[in-house]
Amino acid sequence: MPVAELLVGGILLGGVYALMACGLNLIFGVMRVINFAHGDILAIAALSTVSIAVGFKLPFWVAILAVPLGCAIFGALIHVLILRRIEGAPLIMSLLATYALSTILVNVAILIWGGGYSGLPGVLSGSVRLFGINVSISRLVSFLCALGVSLAVWWLLEFTRFGRAVRSVSRAPELASISGIAIERVRLVTFALGTAMAGLAGVLVAPAFAIDPQLGSRFIVKAFAVIIVGGMGSYPGAILAALILGVIEVVGSYFAGAVIGSAFLFLLMLGVLLIRPRGLLGAGIRV
Amino acid sequence: MKQLGPLSIAGAAGVAALLLPLVGSDYAVSFSIQLLIFLVLAYSWNWIGGYAGYTHFGQVSFFGIGAYVGSLLIFHWNLPWYLAAIVAGLAGAVTAIPLGGAMLRLKGPFFAIGMFGLARVLEAFALGFDSITHGGTGIYLKPLGDLRPLYYIVAAVAAIMLLATWKLDNSRLGLKLLAIREDENAAESLGIPTTRLKIGTFVASAIAPAAMGSLYAVYLGFIDPPTAFASNIELTTIAMVLLGGMGTVLGPLCGAVLLSIVNEVLWANYPQIYLASVGIIILLAVLFTPRGIVNLGMKSGWVAVGRPLFRRLAARAGQAS
Repeated sequence: MPVAELLVGGILLGGVYALMACGLNLIFGVMRVINFAHGDILAIAALSTVSIAVGFKLPFWVAILAVPLGCAIFGALIHVLILRRIEGAPLIMSLLATYALSTILVNVAILIWGGGYSGLPGVLSGSVRLFGINVSISRLVSFLCALGVSLAVWWLLEFTRFGRAVRSVSRAPELASISGIAIERVRLVTFALGTAMAGLAGVLVAPAFAIDPQLGSRFIVKAFAVIIVGGMGSYPGAILAALILGVIEVVGSYFAGAVIGSAFLFLLMLGVLLIRPRGLLGAGIRV
Repeated sequence: MKQLGPLSIAGAAGVAALLLPLVGSDYAVSFSIQLLIFLVLAYSWNWIGGYAGYTHFGQVSFFGIGAYVGSLLIFHWNLPWYLAAIVAGLAGAVTAIPLGGAMLRLKGPFFAIGMFGLARVLEAFALGFDSITHGGTGIYLKPLGDLRPLYYIVAAVAAIMLLATWKLDNSRLGLKLLAIREDENAAESLGIPTTRLKIGTFVASAIAPAAMGSLYAVYLGFIDPPTAFASNIELTTIAMVLLGGMGTVLGPLCGAVLLSIVNEVLWANYPQIYLASVGIIILLAVLFTPRGIVNLGMKSGWVAVGRPLFRRLAARAGQAS
């Protein structure tokens, strides 16, 4: 069994999961909204990246800048048009709204890009030798970018004024509001930031994976597994769990095939839900 | 203006349903079978999602389990399709008991994610264990020559579901479920056995979908994992309940009829945008009529506010004071 290859492959995969799950977790922590459309934003970002790089023949870094920005604007629109209007409503309403949004995005993506697979040939191709094994450059770059941005956002949350505001809105919205924090603006910015992170994850996925409009539904369940295992609302928990689950998925796929391998993640998620619902590093968020 | 009571609407629908196969074309019967299957799914979802208030994104799991149990029984042992559906329903109940005991310890978003994930696990297993399920190739069944017997059976189940919901709506059991929906801790402190009721509701709402899954496989003559565990079946069912009115007797009926017709028109004319438009309908319903058509009807006085039980209780309280 090629232990080193599997481990490195898993950790590299985990980096993208981390970036995606952190955005999802951030949104949940602050707004108590489970964004079912998160994966589809990732998929559309990945498809847009292909269009930018292959269709318009622009350099890859244009996509890295433009796509997350576009996603942030889209996220802000979703917040203003949909989520803000159902803030006080029962939880089921926001779940249904994002679930519906997810369906809309998938099908719009199929209309625009067609149902087939595409990829980014020639961008970040080749491989390097690391610790005696071959690692593809695209996966390495996407891992480094994803983990870097996840850690940067964590730093933002822990050590800046904005981060303090976000954390206080997440813990106690009423008290935050009394203390003079503009909670609506914090929620808006948080949601835009979360969707931008999904967008960046999509850009980074594009050179390394085969992508299609259904990509989102495959990623979202994995992101769910990550935030459940790591602990809902816990930022370091999500990063840690993403890396662990990346390894589990790669090892599981190696032994049992890709389909059953990814099912391992959900089984692990169900197990954690039942045995330790607050997750590895769970903050014990009340809902 | 005379108000429309739930029973008069249901009665008119029942007469129409009985006459349809005699006068309708094959196309009408076929369309109605689909409508009625969704009607049953919607009524089942309404129990756990509408009355008990649990956001259940995993009903399609039972639909899929039923579809596979039924199809395998028919495929291997040549069981008549109606018996296969009964066994499938029982299989749904048997899987729902331990599953409900485990999953219902979760609340709110955790339950939603857990059930959503479960459906995907089952779909992956159905694809992966292809020695049993034939994987992505699917299982082909002998097509039914005449759809009318199937129609009558599905219609009967739909009628039972409607009647059971009407009884539930007028019972203390229904009130207890509503109490769980509004505030589970408060309900528990009032002495309502919330755990038992939740598991009971969960199991009850799994039986009919499993049976429908089996009948749906017979209706299509084919089943594969993406069909059996299709998330758009889940989405359409929830959209119907939401559109009609969650936690009401007539809501699923109105929602299912309306959305089935809209879907059929869209499907026939614009198949590319059909699913996206179901999503848009849900979004609009969430934003503008979160309480559903039936509640709009009650407010404007077209539909009678049901629950004679409430009136009886109110009258008794009035005498006592």
